[in-house]
Amino acid sequence: MKSPVIDTNVQPHFRYNAEIRKFIDPAYKTRAIPDVEQQWYQAPGGDYRADLYDGKYPGSIPETVARHLFSDGGVDYAILNPSTRGNVADYLLNSRICAAVNDWLVQRWLDADVTGRFLGTIRVNPEDPRGAVAEIERLAGHPKMVQVGVPMQSREPYGKPMFEPIWEAAAAFGLPVAVHVNGGNGVDHAPTFAGHAHTYPGYAAFMPLNYFVHLATLIVEGVFGRHPAARFVFADGGYDILTPLMWRLDTFWLSMRDQTPWVDRYPSEYLADHVRFCSSAFDGPTDPADARRWMDFTGKSDLVMYGSGYPHWSTTSPTDAVDGLDSEQREKLLWRNAAGLYSLTRLMEGSDA
Amino acid sequence: MTTFDTVPPDTASHTAPVTIVDTDVHPVPASPDVLKSYAPAEWVDKIWPTGRAVTPQSYFYDTPDAYKSMSMRVDSMPPGGGFAGTDPEFAAQQLLVDAGVSIAMLEPMCDHQLPQHEHVMKSTYNDWLADVWLNQNNAHGRWRGAISVSAQTPADAAREVERWGGHPYMAEVLMTPQTRGIPFGNPHFDPLYEAAARNGFPIATHLMGQTPFELIPQYPVGNPAHWHDFFASWPLLYVSHLMSLVFDGAFDRHPDLRVVFVEGGFTWAMPTMSRMDRIWEQRKADLPHVRRRPSEYVREHVRFTTQPLEEVEVGTYLEYLDMMDMGDNIMFSTDYPHWSYDSPAWAINRFPSDQRERIMKGNATELYGLPDVVGALPGERPSGGPDTA
Repeated sequence: MKSPVIDTNVQPHFRYNAEIRKFIDPAYKTRAIPDVEQQWYQAPGGDYRADLYDGKYPGSIPETVARHLFSDGGVDYAILNPSTRGNVADYLLNSRICAAVNDWLVQRWLDADVTGRFLGTIRVNPEDPRGAVAEIERLAGHPKMVQVGVPMQSREPYGKPMFEPIWEAAAAFGLPVAVHVNGGNGVDHAPTFAGHAHTYPGYAAFMPLNYFVHLATLIVEGVFGRHPAARFVFADGGYDILTPLMWRLDTFWLSMRDQTPWVDRYPSEYLADHVRFCSSAFDGPTDPADARRWMDFTGKSDLVMYGSGYPHWSTTSPTDAVDGLDSEQREKLLWRNAAGLYSLTRLMEGSDA
Repeated sequence: MTTFDTVPPDTASHTAPVTIVDTDVHPVPASPDVLKSYAPAEWVDKIWPTGRAVTPQSYFYDTPDAYKSMSMRVDSMPPGGGFAGTDPEFAAQQLLVDAGVSIAMLEPMCDHQLPQHEHVMKSTYNDWLADVWLNQNNAHGRWRGAISVSAQTPADAAREVERWGGHPYMAEVLMTPQTRGIPFGNPHFDPLYEAAARNGFPIATHLMGQTPFELIPQYPVGNPAHWHDFFASWPLLYVSHLMSLVFDGAFDRHPDLRVVFVEGGFTWAMPTMSRMDRIWEQRKADLPHVRRRPSEYVREHVRFTTQPLEEVEVGTYLEYLDMMDMGDNIMFSTDYPHWSYDSPAWAINRFPSDQRERIMKGNATELYGLPDVVGALPGERPSGGPDTA
């Protein structure tokens, strides 16, 4: 029997970059809006799977994406998490860009979808906390919107207090917050701790690891402690470095906890209730013989959800994602962890029967 | 090559076999005046304008009870007065005799905002270290020194390395990882790497001071507010430099370059190597200059020191280290006299039994060309370690 599959990381695109202008607030229609690609860190040859460049933007035609994922790929549900256009300096413009992306997603991908298998992400701009809360309130009632989306890129880590109203609003609606490397062009720091990466692989290998700073500050600043319903999804993977860095955070929390007394347990104890990852092509041991044992360090078997990354060049199939895992780990990764997080369990068990 | 006047090791008395090499120890000048006495006269008032501070000591992220402990082991203040790490004899008693360390690598901490100032300051530290620790107080031959260089002035740094080539106790080059946005694989550092490789010195790197702001590791998504979230995540600076060294071809340009990542953890080496290998396998065409599997470069060219060890359930930790299989790349360190000191007796059982000997001494003796036997100190048993008789 085929296992159910929930793909938690699919990136839909406009058919062309300027299509966003059909959805932008008229007051902003003459403004410059960056394209999705960041030219300095684009993959040579293109960011997307080579066979998807068929004259249209990869991942831009719902029927084609549905065929690739659902008919050919064996996916039951796909969570769409579109890019916006980066942390553009004018945060009000950025919030309108997010709203345009959301309106497009609802109209073209969710309301028009006849398969009933596409689920959506409410993109918000964390640099405009009030606007972000308003956008969540505007769209949280849509039955197919299952999470809030924010960029990995930020000039302050997400544990800082200015962002807390956003996380609070998402939690109030039962929506996890997905953090994902964004497209576009923004006022951002260099992507590595040592400055700009000089090669595309140097960028692609490191960039996902920045999630850990968001995670460490969310824990240490007490966001998870104050908001038991807050959930974060790190959509670019990076769970391979979770174990060493959480070990460090646990160790140093023990020495430093009098400075942050609101963190009343080991930092790693927050993971199971608050943190999930999308699987990625870059995570995990290179030898599948190590995969099963490796997945159990820091309880990753319960944290990682299958994410294809479609239409990215590194798109992984469900089969590749579970290579080397045991049957229980496979089920958790392919659908159980996601079904629990997004409250799809009943839906999935119905479809499986 | 320069010739150096050093006191030859005193082998007349009894000797001890080398069992533990400590790759991260921090000596401090006894006073600003002592350090200044080694500086070129025309630089003294420029580098130390207040006449008081040895080097700026303010920092943004403070360690536990920093105002009280000064971030030091509270028992490491010398009984005769002075700051922790200022008294070579007391340090020898605590670290070599009491803790049982056979040979220790001395890595002074210093930096400056301005390039030429920093170069002169580092050079001054080298003269002080060579005289006070490696000559006057090294009759036992158990101190080794790091040649401090400025990452801001690679050509001057290369000349500084040449100045110490052939010194009997200078054993490595020490450079900050806080390189103001220049990753280690950038050709900016080539003159320094050439000089180090030519003279047989590994390049060690160690987090330096956090003043001014530009010297704090600059987190791509913004800096945390507290020491523990800062300190848990700053190894990502080493990950960034390591990926740059490999992907930007530094090890191809410098086949004899060896890099030591000090005090930044090492369990992250496993995911870092597998990430690089996975990307490289799929994107070889983007990296024509990277001729081998990335993890192979790491295993050949890179070492990691152990302190601060993560406090993990030992069975889980051993299982992880066994899977990581980096027993040839890890070198024991204490960080004496800093507050987060790891003692050898506590650390040793946290390494897999088949990696212990290499981690505690073998990897370091091979990398630094250290002897198998050293002069024993009074009160030390011939086998090394504390005299419990």
